[in-house]
Amino acid sequence: MADEPQFSETIPEKVILDEPPPFLGTWPRVYRFVLIVLALVIFLAWLFTKHYAPPA
Amino acid sequence: MTTLDWIVLFGWLAFLVSYGLWRGRGSNSVNQFLLAGKTMPWYAMGLSIMATQASAITFISTTGQAYVDGMRFVQFYFGLPVAMVLLSATAVPIFHRAKVYTAYEYLEQRFDSKTRSLVTIIFLIGRGLGAGIALAAPSIVMSVVLGWPYYMTTIIMGGLIILYTTMGGIKAVTYADVQQMMMIMGALILALVIAIWKLPHDVSFLDAVKIAGAAGRLNAVDTHFNLNDRYNLWSGLIGSTFLMLAYFGTDQSQVQRYLTGKSIGQSRLGLLLNAMAKVPIQFFILFIGAMVFVFFVFERPPLLFQPVELKRLEQTAQFRALEGRYRQALDQRETAARKVKDGGPGDDFRAAQQRVNAVRDEAGKLSQDSDTNYIFLSFVTRYLPRGLVGLILGVIFTAAMSASSGEINSLATVTMIDVYQRHFHRQGSDRHFLLASRVATVFWGIYAVAFANFAQGFGALIEAVNQVGSLFYGSMLGVFVVAFFMKRAGGTAAFWGVLAGQATTFAVARFTPIAYLWYNLIGCVVVLVVAWTITTVSRRSSLVA
Repeated sequence: MADEPQFSETIPEKVILDEPPPFLGTWPRVYRFVLIVLALVIFLAWLFTKHYAPPA
Repeated sequence: MTTLDWIVLFGWLAFLVSYGLWRGRGSNSVNQFLLAGKTMPWYAMGLSIMATQASAITFISTTGQAYVDGMRFVQFYFGLPVAMVLLSATAVPIFHRAKVYTAYEYLEQRFDSKTRSLVTIIFLIGRGLGAGIALAAPSIVMSVVLGWPYYMTTIIMGGLIILYTTMGGIKAVTYADVQQMMMIMGALILALVIAIWKLPHDVSFLDAVKIAGAAGRLNAVDTHFNLNDRYNLWSGLIGSTFLMLAYFGTDQSQVQRYLTGKSIGQSRLGLLLNAMAKVPIQFFILFIGAMVFVFFVFERPPLLFQPVELKRLEQTAQFRALEGRYRQALDQRETAARKVKDGGPGDDFRAAQQRVNAVRDEAGKLSQDSDTNYIFLSFVTRYLPRGLVGLILGVIFTAAMSASSGEINSLATVTMIDVYQRHFHRQGSDRHFLLASRVATVFWGIYAVAFANFAQGFGALIEAVNQVGSLFYGSMLGVFVVAFFMKRAGGTAAFWGVLAGQATTFAVARFTPIAYLWYNLIGCVVVLVVAWTITTVSRRSSLVA
């Protein structure tokens, strides 16, 4: 049993890849894209609310 | 429930558990069992994150909430994409490079063991309560709908969770979640199509939307700022961002998901998939609730949707008198809705709706159970075709299992890595710690079933504990923000910061009416202020000395 692999609290050595995103070239651009989509979704949801809201 | 529904329900359960076990085969090392050997693709991580967050009770309650209160709950998720972006840019690369199994392990690398231990304890308390509730809340609803004894529902759910989580580890949990998430979306789309299809022939989809709007059920965005109001644009964008940052950035049930990624980029894409999809999905689920509301404008709904309570109260004269008033109010509402459809003003419709609400409120006071959770299920069981009823109930069943399995898996990971290995058994073989991980999984699974059975009689407790995350997340988020951005802060500053943040959050929850979403911001800010003050004072003292 002595040659059993021992557990290490640190994950076994492996190259940590930090590759570019598959679209838009850089990660900051992808982040901006996600936030613009969020702003657009909120704006559309607000328009939807306004359009169908009962009169105050 | 017909025979076909039972076959579909059990078929789906058997398929999901078998599939999880099959995909989780080969989890024969700690790294494989807890982190899937860091091989997970982005789409599996993203869907699994969404499935874990979408517990059954969210699924059942959300549609019911839209029926009763409209779509404003969607604002709760507005902070999620912001949090996903911030975490992709900060926490994901930091945790990956630290090569840790748990988020709390990183705290010892950055600070010291007492800070790691304190945050570990906070996580185990908060998530431990959550794991029991994640099983209890849907079990109560499902046992009523299926007519099963409550204990049997929790044991079946808990037993299946323990089986595939113990055998297949995180890989089984993740891949079962992927199937689960796709089936949830398919079932919801079918439910919406049927709700619209079953409307009277002279009521079109656009008419239905107009009627839902006239009843105030399409109130997705509220721009008024009010600290005591749970859901508005500002609590969504600010309070919810902090909650989501804490949940996805410090809660091991989520951190563990993106630590399974084969690279930093894959983990980021998993989170960003969640960022892009979550708000539209929640909007869609709430919209189904609004359409179910319109469906019941034209199809007479029961006074109470909870079948057991309805049957009990129908025997009383007081309830029968209410039913008479209810029928009258429903008739008036239907007539007024047809006027709205034809372009008339909505005043009569809203007045009739208020009369309906008033009678339902009176009936609700006689009932011993919350009715909101049974609205969607009542629609499913009474109006959906054979087979589909079984499928949707099966999906709800496994949604509860999905949320619980993720929580049990993360509790087991933290127990093994941050408690057992850190404090009781520093050295040992991989096989020994793999066995310890499995034992911890079984322990937390049995605990969740036991807690769910104990908590059954405490309805109010369940409501309270549903918000328990926000009591703990603020200070947990604070300590990670200190770790990432306050380079000079040490373990003592972080430790006292967490204690101060926790004490403040409890005080705010106990003594103020501030809505729970804001606890996360308050707890986080207190940790930062206290840690910064201690760091500054101790630096000045050491400079003077």
